[in-house]
Amino acid sequence: MAGSSYYDIDDILAAQERVPCVLRVDLDGLGSAGSGGSSKVHRNARWALPLWMADQLNEEDCVDMGVSPVFSKRANRMYAASPESIQLRAVSQHYYQFGLLLGDLVPEIPGVLRNMYMQRVQRIARVAQQGHSLETLDFAQSLDKTEAAMLRVCQQAQGAITDWHQGKAYALRRAPAIQ
Amino acid sequence: MAITTRQQDGFTMPELEYLAQCERVAIVPLHRMERLELVTGTVGPFRPPQKAVVPLWLAVMLKRASRCRIVAPDWLRYEHLRTLCCEEDQPDSLFTRLPHHYLEIAHVLLTNAEDDIVDAQGIRRLLQDLRETRQSKTREGLKMLNSLQLQMDNLSAAEINEIRPLFARSFDMLRRLDALAATGEQTQRQAHASDSHYSELDDTFGSSFAY
Repeated sequence: MAGSSYYDIDDILAAQERVPCVLRVDLDGLGSAGSGGSSKVHRNARWALPLWMADQLNEEDCVDMGVSPVFSKRANRMYAASPESIQLRAVSQHYYQFGLLLGDLVPEIPGVLRNMYMQRVQRIARVAQQGHSLETLDFAQSLDKTEAAMLRVCQQAQGAITDWHQGKAYALRRAPAIQ
Repeated sequence: MAITTRQQDGFTMPELEYLAQCERVAIVPLHRMERLELVTGTVGPFRPPQKAVVPLWLAVMLKRASRCRIVAPDWLRYEHLRTLCCEEDQPDSLFTRLPHHYLEIAHVLLTNAEDDIVDAQGIRRLLQDLRETRQSKTREGLKMLNSLQLQMDNLSAAEINEIRPLFARSFDMLRRLDALAATGEQTQRQAHASDSHYSELDDTFGSSFAY
């Protein structure tokens, strides 16, 4: 996985997302872990493995890693049609991170991510600057983790200026010890 | 360095206010005073009713002690701000020229020297309108983000501070996407190059696309 840093907690969480894999070797005794009920798993069985596992096993040629349905061609087309109204949290909580990790496999990912990001970040900026209301609550709950962090950061910046205007930025109070 | 997460993203507003108080402002001193030799420069002798130019922090201090009256700066007048507001409201216009610390200076003056400013309430309203229009323009600037450069002239210090976290993270994201696209192109070009020569080495170049 290019571009992932080992200790970055967001990368670790994003790499937990599943990708479909096709086994290349026979495995004994793991039948209960996969989709079969037998104790032996044959080759060409389909399994959904987390990305960190699938990537390593792919290097060693034990499995053939496929593209996750989150970034399949059909999904990309669907999302490109209406980026602002998609519930990204329902699709995947770490959509952007996951896309960055898979980026060197699927060449369309940077374009897809950029399109999605540019559209949604404008809505995020507008929501942050114009305050919350009922409709925006739904939108705020449909963001994935990176976008939610941006929204929080924007709202903090806004709140800082408003507080300062109202004189609440300074909080000098007499300490209870000297009263 | 031991700073809080809140401070990591940029300045806090009190810090910006502190920095803004270095700007000079004209006052009318009420008492005579001799020359003050400060580290940043000499503040000349005060001979009322002549105007003197002093740093803002000194003006506020003297005002609080009732030893001077502050002269509102040229741009802090109702008509001037209203002209600027109309200019900003024009569609597709750039940001109007305002002093770099206009928000902080206006806040300090309106809090401490309200009696010296004509029509303070109107000015407050105009400043609020101006700020909202400029904010919506920064949102449009967000649309034009690319990973290399974005130029927005005439933004004031407080406004830059406000958009800094969002824009910095967006720049980062776009930069990573660009780097990803570049490496993707590279591996594709390598794969195509090897396709034409060594077709049996296809299996070693990454995983197969199952969809």
